[in-house]
Amino acid sequence: MPVNNEDITRRAPEQDVVVFSRVRLARNYADTPFSPKMEAEQAGQMIQRVREVIAQGPEAEQYQCLLMRELSEAQRNQLVEHHLISYDLLKYADWSATFISSGETVSVMVNEEDHLRIQGMLRGLQLERAAELAFHMEERLSVQEEFAFDAQWGYLTSCPTNTGTGMRACAVVHLPALSASEQINPLAQAAARLGMTVRGLYGEGSDAKSHHLYMISNQVTLGRSEEDIIRSLIVTTQQIAASERAARTRMMSDQGATMLDRLMRTLGIVKYARIMRLDEMLPRLSDARLAAALGLLDYPLTGLDNLICDLQDGSLSARAGREMASVELNALRADILRDAFRDVEP
Amino acid sequence: MICDECGVNTATIKLMTISGGEKTERHLCTQCMRRLRGQFGVVDLSSLAGILSGLLQQAAKQLSPEEAEAAADLCCEGCGQSYEAFRESGFLGCAQCYQAFREPLTTLLKRVQGHAQHCGRIPGRKTDDVSLRLSLSRMRQQLNRAIAQEEYEEAARLRDQIRALTAQLESREAGQSAPDAAVSPQSALQEGGDAREQ
Repeated sequence: MPVNNEDITRRAPEQDVVVFSRVRLARNYADTPFSPKMEAEQAGQMIQRVREVIAQGPEAEQYQCLLMRELSEAQRNQLVEHHLISYDLLKYADWSATFISSGETVSVMVNEEDHLRIQGMLRGLQLERAAELAFHMEERLSVQEEFAFDAQWGYLTSCPTNTGTGMRACAVVHLPALSASEQINPLAQAAARLGMTVRGLYGEGSDAKSHHLYMISNQVTLGRSEEDIIRSLIVTTQQIAASERAARTRMMSDQGATMLDRLMRTLGIVKYARIMRLDEMLPRLSDARLAAALGLLDYPLTGLDNLICDLQDGSLSARAGREMASVELNALRADILRDAFRDVEP
Repeated sequence: MICDECGVNTATIKLMTISGGEKTERHLCTQCMRRLRGQFGVVDLSSLAGILSGLLQQAAKQLSPEEAEAAADLCCEGCGQSYEAFRESGFLGCAQCYQAFREPLTTLLKRVQGHAQHCGRIPGRKTDDVSLRLSLSRMRQQLNRAIAQEEYEEAARLRDQIRALTAQLESREAGQSAPDAAVSPQSALQEGGDAREQ
């Protein structure tokens, strides 16, 4: 599994609200049918093609190739939970693969809905740099073979909702205060006017009200340039982050004692609980993240964001090296949390 | 709340079904939900293709009978996929499908995306320009900030970098190679990146 040697105490831009920025590019090679129509042999050649391009690059050794069919269920879920691959990549698990850079900032998914999904991902609000990472890799992958492109439709994708730039840029934001004051819907409507969508991070089935993590992303891929989309997304995210900060300040001045009580109770729970279900952990870590962002808790935001990913079911099982029952998972999750917060005092 | 289905576990999911105009609401636990999901054809909202296939069927209803008939007969020569099959799955088979289904796709994409003309990056041109332009816009913001904070040395450094990158971008767009005197894009990007983190 990927190793991450980053300095977790360093704060990324606007990290008090923005968890991470990600830019994904959908690309298909012109000489091969799209993934849903591909033969197994072509899928294998596709992986080989990417492997060769990466092997020729200066940072070849920083990349590792993971074939989905060789990974356990837990390891696959771990990659999804860390936002390194999409859930859709697993729909084609017999054929698909991913190449991940050592810092986990760049990954190339092969044989998802499209031949390639190239992603750049960085903590905090760093969309331009994330885009630079993705485009840099995209350029290398287009040197030998041409991408499918049409003057009217732009980059051609297997699902026509991605055609054009083939780009989905997103910022994941933590909005506990806006969420508490029922501001998410009006905010989503305002964002829609700028061509942006706001939705809960963990997909349709999840209740974003427990973790307050939302993803802001571009609605359309056709008819707007890449730079235009990225700039609009930055502006939208900055405005949302500013509203969240204002709402946090208001919340602390209106209900300071209640808030402080809630955040400190959370600290008590994570320090002493022996059983922690995932649906209990998410609101606790959301509280901890808010407390850390407000300076009430001395814990690096990056560390908390890592815990949110590392303590999900797949990642825990992958860490243990075996599939675990939910009773075991809940106990292990509580153990790791206690350990992480052992020396933390308000 | 207890699950309406098994009556044992705690319900964590609210399932709303609308059938024949009648709305029913049930509270379910995750196990029962998983079991039920297999029984009825739940539209997979996690994939855009699921949503798209619904939209396509709606869009098809709005075509005139002649248009609908013409679209139904379309077939891609490249991969043999029919327009009908695309409507079912939401996926095209290959790049040539876009040629074969150009007309119905234009109507559809105008509806879904609001546009039917790509505007943005074009491959084959001496690329890198999206990254270059993004770096430029980032550096211009840094320059404004440096000036506002009266950090004139930093501002001068940024100004020179911006000039070099602009020259490079212009020469690329003119289809020439970058002038030797210019800063290499990578080193300029790197420095730009470092400057922002300070």
